Amino acid sequence: MARYILRRVAAFIPALIISSIFIFFMVRLTGADPITSLQGTQRLSEESRIALTREFHLDKSLAEQYFIWIGGMLRGKFPVSFKYRQPVDRLIASRLPTTLQLVGMSFIFAVFFAITIGLICAANKNKAVDRILSAVLVLFASTPSFLLAIVLMLVFSLKLGWFPSFGAGHNFRENLYYLLLPSLSLGAAMMSLMGRVTRSRMIEELGADYVCAEIAKGTPRHVIMFRHCLKGVLIPVVTIGGLQLGGAIVGAVMVESVFALGGIGDLLIAGIKSADYPIVQSIVILMTMLFLFLNLVVDIAYTALDPRIRAERITSQ
Amino acid sequence: MKTANMARPPVVAIIAGALLALIIIACAAAPLIAPYGMSEQNLKDSLASPSAKHLLGADKMGRDLFTRILYGGRVTLISAVGVVTLSAVIGIPLGLISGYFGGMLDAIVSRFCDMLIAFPSLLLALVLVFAFGRGLGGAVVAMGIAFVPMLVRVVRSLTLVEKNKTYVEAARSIGFSPMYIIFKHIFPNCAATIAVQFALDLGYAILSLAGLSFLGLGVQPPTADWGAMLSEGRDFLLPAPWLALCPGLVIVLSVLCINTLCDGIQQYLDPAQQPLPSFRRREKPLEAAEVRAANLKEGAARGE
Repeated sequence: MARYILRRVAAFIPALIISSIFIFFMVRLTGADPITSLQGTQRLSEESRIALTREFHLDKSLAEQYFIWIGGMLRGKFPVSFKYRQPVDRLIASRLPTTLQLVGMSFIFAVFFAITIGLICAANKNKAVDRILSAVLVLFASTPSFLLAIVLMLVFSLKLGWFPSFGAGHNFRENLYYLLLPSLSLGAAMMSLMGRVTRSRMIEELGADYVCAEIAKGTPRHVIMFRHCLKGVLIPVVTIGGLQLGGAIVGAVMVESVFALGGIGDLLIAGIKSADYPIVQSIVILMTMLFLFLNLVVDIAYTALDPRIRAERITSQ
Repeated sequence: MKTANMARPPVVAIIAGALLALIIIACAAAPLIAPYGMSEQNLKDSLASPSAKHLLGADKMGRDLFTRILYGGRVTLISAVGVVTLSAVIGIPLGLISGYFGGMLDAIVSRFCDMLIAFPSLLLALVLVFAFGRGLGGAVVAMGIAFVPMLVRVVRSLTLVEKNKTYVEAARSIGFSPMYIIFKHIFPNCAATIAVQFALDLGYAILSLAGLSFLGLGVQPPTADWGAMLSEGRDFLLPAPWLALCPGLVIVLSVLCINTLCDGIQQYLDPAQQPLPSFRRREKPLEAAEVRAANLKEGAARGE
């Protein structure tokens, strides 16, 4: 097991290097001139233009710029944003907790509702309850998160006045309240897929031979479902959930925009709009790292939880 | 006798398909059926509520919302088709060739796709939009490329199954060139599954493009697609909620129809997914003759 984890962690590093090169050169494909977008309305003299170009290392070759960037990141030194004139890490530091809490809360909602709905559907397969709940799941899969966010905001913030319509709180506790609607909107799409997987896996599991044996023994239905089948169901659900969690870190952009939460997604969009390479590069690599890291955790958890896969993967080394 | 043995006609899928066709035809025929011109302003009707004059109300400039949804739909649907077509033009040949030939080429293509799939597609699209520039063209190219790896993977796995079948061996022994076999023999046999994937991607493309426009990275004003209209509408959420809700509902409706239709087609293509007959709820067990009749009927329904 330890060797397997080590091997996976080792594979993580080249993936990160390749993504960083890819991100850097993709971002630089753009023709937008950062100095022009930097100056805004005021005119720049030729001297200050040259000085700025030198300050941001834009006079060096792309390869050199890449090594300056990646070298700085490795030493924990983020590049300086063109627009805000601050190192990007300082900009991120105040925004990251909001985004992470948003994603975390939406994941908890998604898992809770997905498993509950999936199990109810599976227990009442093809009955009216199942049909209605399955239709609801498909509906959520077809609804963009920003639309759901707008609807929730309209009903619960603007009409009923139960929740704030924009902005985030100042600390974790306040945010439990401020981020409730945003996290529900972000979690709905995640819930939809996980719910459908829970349903179909549970139905499959309930048709297995061992369930037949349990029924013959007279084991009550809820014991069969919760004590025996649930274990087999949870593993694929957790896997898919983990992948979706990575997607949600990016998907949070939309919801953050509706509720003006000021998370890193907002910063990324602002960076894209103002051709601010340092912001775009740094946030994209940060999100990629988080995403790859989550994949790694899920993969290891998957191997650790499921004895069948553990046996297969460890012996195949 | 109400039996579960009859293959249930895919009523829901048919309704979804009809609705989708209606949306597409209405958008295509926008100049004919729209009550107003595309950007005809009428400041007197600023933020008018839905009424006989303005079916779905009017926006701040007094432009008729129903008209704008029809014209916006053209932008949304055409660019979504553009996204999927772009990904198909790159992805299908790549998947077919790498699946058929295998070897070094396949290894490179597969590794590359694995890497891109590991990237959330929205993040990939955002980076690509940054590279190609904001605006509809950039967004379409970005999403199109972001969709390629998944399609390559699907087509490749279909090709892997198909290439070991007898007809391919026969074609090879006759001496057809590999390219001829790939595109004339293998591709048509995978086409049904690819078409379903194509349609599913279409729904996802509508959602993603709407998302990019919503963030201000897709369509730029004065052109508007459904996503951009939704984004404009949220500034008037309290006085005129329909401005945001109507474009949103059309997005959901179109995507829902596409997804439902695809589910229906998949079920039709794959009998294993059709609901099996259940005898549990019968109070008294079936007579042997009844069972035989039911089995026969089921067999007939499946075309055996």
